[in-house]
Amino acid sequence: MKISVIGLGKMGLLHSGILNSLPNVSVASVCETELFLSAAAKIILPKGATIYRDAQEMIDEEDPDAVYVTTPIDTHATIVENLLRTKLNLNVFVEKPLAASSEQAKIMCDAASRSRGVNMVGFQRRFSPIYRKAKELLMNETLGRPIFFRAYCFSSDVLRDGSAWRSKRASGGVLLDLSPHLLDILIWFFGDPSSTEAVKKQIHSREVEDYVHAILSYKSDLQGHLDVCWSVSNYRLPQVLLEVYATNGILTVTDDFVKVSSSKQFSVDDEESRIYHKQSFQVPIPFLLTDPEYTLEDVAFLEAIRTQATPETSFVQAAKVNTLIDKILANST
Amino acid sequence: MTKLLIGDNSFIGVSHLSQERARERTENLTIASIVDIIKTASACGATGYTFSTHPVNLQILTELKKSEKIQDRLELYPVLPYAQAYVRLANEKGMRGLVDETLSKLPLLERTRTVLQTGYSTLRLDVAGILKSYLDIELTPYINAKPKNSNLQSVLLHEVATDLCVGLHNMQFLETFAQQIKDKYHVTPGFVTYNLVSFVKLFQEQGVSLEDVLIMTPFNKIGYQMSQSLETCESCLSNLHQGEVIAMSILAGGYLNLNQALDYLRTLPHLSGIAVGVSSTTHAKDTFTQLNLLPKQEPLSAQHREQAPR
Repeated sequence: MKISVIGLGKMGLLHSGILNSLPNVSVASVCETELFLSAAAKIILPKGATIYRDAQEMIDEEDPDAVYVTTPIDTHATIVENLLRTKLNLNVFVEKPLAASSEQAKIMCDAASRSRGVNMVGFQRRFSPIYRKAKELLMNETLGRPIFFRAYCFSSDVLRDGSAWRSKRASGGVLLDLSPHLLDILIWFFGDPSSTEAVKKQIHSREVEDYVHAILSYKSDLQGHLDVCWSVSNYRLPQVLLEVYATNGILTVTDDFVKVSSSKQFSVDDEESRIYHKQSFQVPIPFLLTDPEYTLEDVAFLEAIRTQATPETSFVQAAKVNTLIDKILANST
Repeated sequence: MTKLLIGDNSFIGVSHLSQERARERTENLTIASIVDIIKTASACGATGYTFSTHPVNLQILTELKKSEKIQDRLELYPVLPYAQAYVRLANEKGMRGLVDETLSKLPLLERTRTVLQTGYSTLRLDVAGILKSYLDIELTPYINAKPKNSNLQSVLLHEVATDLCVGLHNMQFLETFAQQIKDKYHVTPGFVTYNLVSFVKLFQEQGVSLEDVLIMTPFNKIGYQMSQSLETCESCLSNLHQGEVIAMSILAGGYLNLNQALDYLRTLPHLSGIAVGVSSTTHAKDTFTQLNLLPKQEPLSAQHREQAPR
């Protein structure tokens, strides 16, 4: 299977490394417009891979089985729309979030609906065994009915005034940049909220928000509070935490573990509290580059192409995150 | 096991059980308390320290040097690059910013030679030149700070860089790294990898010897960080006739206890050493006293040479 990658940033490199390691898959071409990165691509990529400066030219020349779009968020819509207009059966993977706005996301979904190819967005946490376990625990009703949740997503990416490229409008602010994984998890667990309220704050950035506090309300009477900030010091890695308070217990989920704390009437495996670390879920991984969910995600995309199935994180599903982001920002003060 | 190495995860805020725990643990540690931990481990049989080029480690080495005694001796195994620093930089400044910032650290002459001499469309990067300058910049402060009795024993490539090269079948970069470590620092080049099977396969397919190469890779009974699987990694280790293998992640990121780890490690052939993190002096004493009781094994290459016909 021949893969083309557009954009050789951090995520482009990560997917290239994983994909090229898989049996019968090769990264045959890369499109990178940045001079230094395209020169670096020549020495990093497998022998025989071709480097392009123009995405359309690459797709026309290479006729790949699938393309990975790992460029800045605000370029996704134009790239994907153009590619799908000229190549109707192209299989497209876009790194998260799908687009910079719900309007752009709609353009991409429309283009994909006219395409015969498979489309998918990189919400890799859905492939993490921890989040899958959390979803299972919520679904099997042992926890009872969720009453409310608290969630946060913090990082230390923007700690100085105006220094970060993320502070610019094109990056979209903390909600578009940092929260999509968490919002996707919330949509996956609880569906779309019926209404939102939020406050936002600029700390170091002049053009975009650095902090958002949102309240999400659902038709089921569930309510959730959400804090997203990229200016919290001392976070070596971005961290996500979700606590769901349900009628029979509390479920806590992070990237490292899922934990169930219960009331006395409720038991999980006859223990009052049960914690499942990521180490509890060992599955064979054909190749490991950083976290296993990236490999599982890429394997799932290739499998969806093979079977012509609709991936769980298709454009249509991923567009819901853009809709929610726009909704939160529109109803914020 | 002839090499018992102290790992630095708990000193630089890494925990595979929870990030909260990592932050709390780091907040409770000072440079002085870390030095105490290292010295205790050393007194109980630790032979070396493996660490990433994180600024905290520069402070640790400087402090170790100050309080060094004549009998202190610790072999050093730096791992680079400290990948998270580069991810953070890319997050803060974007890939273009990361490239600019990294290049700005190179000496002006080198930057000019490697980057600026050619026209816009014909830019060619001199990998060996850039890597050489990068290694000098990254390693020199640590080498200058090292205690007198401590020797640089190896320089290892971080697993993200190693495994990216393995995934992309880029043998050239791995060989260039190995050669420069040998030529400039006169020590064994090392590679950290989570993909032992693919790593060994790449070397074998490309006809590159693993003799005089150190491989640091996870070994634990649950298969944590062991791609493709526990079984394939064990089989690969059994069939390996070259290279020195140091087991890391023996506690599966704190998920297993030391006894569970030791029971498993005793079943493995061909290990030259173990790297393990410790977070207090008591922990260091318990861990390295027990590790020191493991049967000593000769490095693979030595075993192989002895078996070879004369």
